[in-house]
Amino acid sequence: MNDLEQLNLQRRRVLMGMGAAGVALAGSALSCPAMAASPAQVTEAPSSDRTDDHQAFHGKHQSGIVTPRPASGMLVSFDVLASDREDLERLFRTLNDRIAFLMKGGPVTQVDPKLPPVDSGILGPIVTPDNLTITVSVGASLFDERFGLADAKPRRLNRMVGFPNDALEADCCHGDLSLQFCSNTTDTNIHALRDIVKNLPDLLLVRWKQEGSVPPQAPAKPGVPAQSARNFLGFRDGSANPDSNNAKTMDSIVWVQPGSDEPAWAANGSYQAVRIIRNFVERWDRTPLQEQQSILGRVKSTGAPMGGTHESQVPDYGKDPHGKLTRLDAHIRLANPRTAATQANLILRRPFNYSNGVNKNGQLDMGLLFICYQADLEKGFITVQTRLNGEPLEEYLKPVGGGYFFTLPGVSGEQDFIGRSLLAATHPTTTA
Amino acid sequence: MKQSPLALLLTLGLLNTPLAAFAATAPLELVQPISDYKIYVTEQLDELASHTRQFTDAVKKGDLATAKKLYAPTRVYYESIEPIAELFSDLDASIDSRVDDHEKGVKAEDFTGFHRIEYTLFSQNSTQGLDELADALDKDVKDLQTRVAGLTFAPEKVVGGAAALLEEVAATKISGEEDRYSHTDLYDFQGNIDGAKKIVDLLRPQIEKQDAAFIGKVDKNFATVNRTLAKYKTADGGFETYDKVKENDRKALVGPVNTLAEDLSTLRGKLGLN
Repeated sequence: MNDLEQLNLQRRRVLMGMGAAGVALAGSALSCPAMAASPAQVTEAPSSDRTDDHQAFHGKHQSGIVTPRPASGMLVSFDVLASDREDLERLFRTLNDRIAFLMKGGPVTQVDPKLPPVDSGILGPIVTPDNLTITVSVGASLFDERFGLADAKPRRLNRMVGFPNDALEADCCHGDLSLQFCSNTTDTNIHALRDIVKNLPDLLLVRWKQEGSVPPQAPAKPGVPAQSARNFLGFRDGSANPDSNNAKTMDSIVWVQPGSDEPAWAANGSYQAVRIIRNFVERWDRTPLQEQQSILGRVKSTGAPMGGTHESQVPDYGKDPHGKLTRLDAHIRLANPRTAATQANLILRRPFNYSNGVNKNGQLDMGLLFICYQADLEKGFITVQTRLNGEPLEEYLKPVGGGYFFTLPGVSGEQDFIGRSLLAATHPTTTA
Repeated sequence: MKQSPLALLLTLGLLNTPLAAFAATAPLELVQPISDYKIYVTEQLDELASHTRQFTDAVKKGDLATAKKLYAPTRVYYESIEPIAELFSDLDASIDSRVDDHEKGVKAEDFTGFHRIEYTLFSQNSTQGLDELADALDKDVKDLQTRVAGLTFAPEKVVGGAAALLEEVAATKISGEEDRYSHTDLYDFQGNIDGAKKIVDLLRPQIEKQDAAFIGKVDKNFATVNRTLAKYKTADGGFETYDKVKENDRKALVGPVNTLAEDLSTLRGKLGLN
């Protein structure tokens, strides 16, 4: 028995013999370094060595799109309260400064304790970045008569129109501006949101918000591709996503290219489609496994295509023209038929599972916070969703909210600010 | 090398910086505004008591039309002095609690006061069964008058009251949840705003001494709110119902209200009050 074990044994004896008094003593001894290896206390926080992880704020593109998806996501849509262009510029500049700080972290300004603190304090006196990204996008309504931006509207940016299976709820749709928060923990996202709300009381009003999560997966084994996380239908989601590490692929699928038919300022931006898709999970859980699999087109346990053994395998629909293996109306087959022509409809998905509470009927209110990015909204999400209209999976899904936004190009450096190119395009005197 | 948070704070000198940025306003300077405020509150309460009497008389007489007409204008006096009235939490609950403060809703036995009477008048279109509730409201308001008369007004409660009133607006008036049966929220909205503005006006010289730019910004936001509310004034000096408020006007109110809430939350600190 080594010293530490001896100490632990003594401690257990003391605790068992002394009851409440012993517990109190043990509590007061928590700061003793010799106790460090003892079993954790109830209130001891889960530990993470990733709170200092951070993503770059400056770059050609905004972070949070091809950045690997962390465990916590949150999409917040805002009404812009600015009354003129001057206010709108102040909004973008303030957002720029807050996001730059929050993604980098650092000490919080301390003020006279007679005043409300400038920071909520959720992350303590030193803000840790915790892998945070905040991605800024704008809705079609920002291009109305208020700010004189109409001529600069991205060509495919329109207010989301409901699809046949949608039951859109007005209070969780659309918006002038969206912020996508992603980080290692929910609290980091909440901290960032509260910072922005507090710093922009006269310019932004929260319209709706949806939080979601990605369940962490066990580390990939050497030589085996990483497996996708599962959604609330219990299936691996993201299996056929394009390679976000391949810059060329991302240029063709995700980023608006310079010289395209989009306004010049929009180059290196992207279209963001957001959908809050409720899943009828009780009903799904009462559906036979083989039916679940044929509706989705994948094997539930492995995520492999029908007849396959590994998630990374690519289904060969050419050999299955009549849908004997994978139904013709299976979700993955409609979403991505894998023909030469449908390569133009590829999108980069970045979904999060959400769970909100309970509906009046006692059923769980949960589903998928679906977010995807593409260079062409019409060829991308709208075409894919149109192909999915009427799919058998609809019986288990009800999209209730979301919206279309245009994700602004990245901020090139200290002299630039988010949204500057948009303002400059309609008002050439806007400089950094 | 990673630094511990504490070490970083020390390095940055944050722990050594004197944090008190505002000199406390001399207590004597606050005597006049605080006593003026007590006079204001007393006057508002006198109005509240006499208007409540007329309102409850109409209710007990079964004069539904008059009772409905007097409901909103009577409440304004309560709304304007809410931070003081709320110091007596038992009376605040019996006079002004809302249906969602009660798990059993309108059936809750302790759901009394203005909003309970509002429910029968506007939702049931009746004055039936309101006699006891009307008498109790009258009695509670008189009780509030007596208690406030004997109350020493603490400066931090008065100064903090301006922010508290804006929190009321931001939490329940913007959403139109206050008067859910009568939809007369704009009366309460104006009452809260007037009450907050009164506090700022009484303390104007002291605030200006500490931060002149601040008072300019606060005035501008009060003016924006009042201008927007004025669009909904009716010929009889009252207000349209809340459902008439256009979406763009509601949004035009949110920015100034939230900014006033942020700014007025610093008022106690600016005057050096604890």
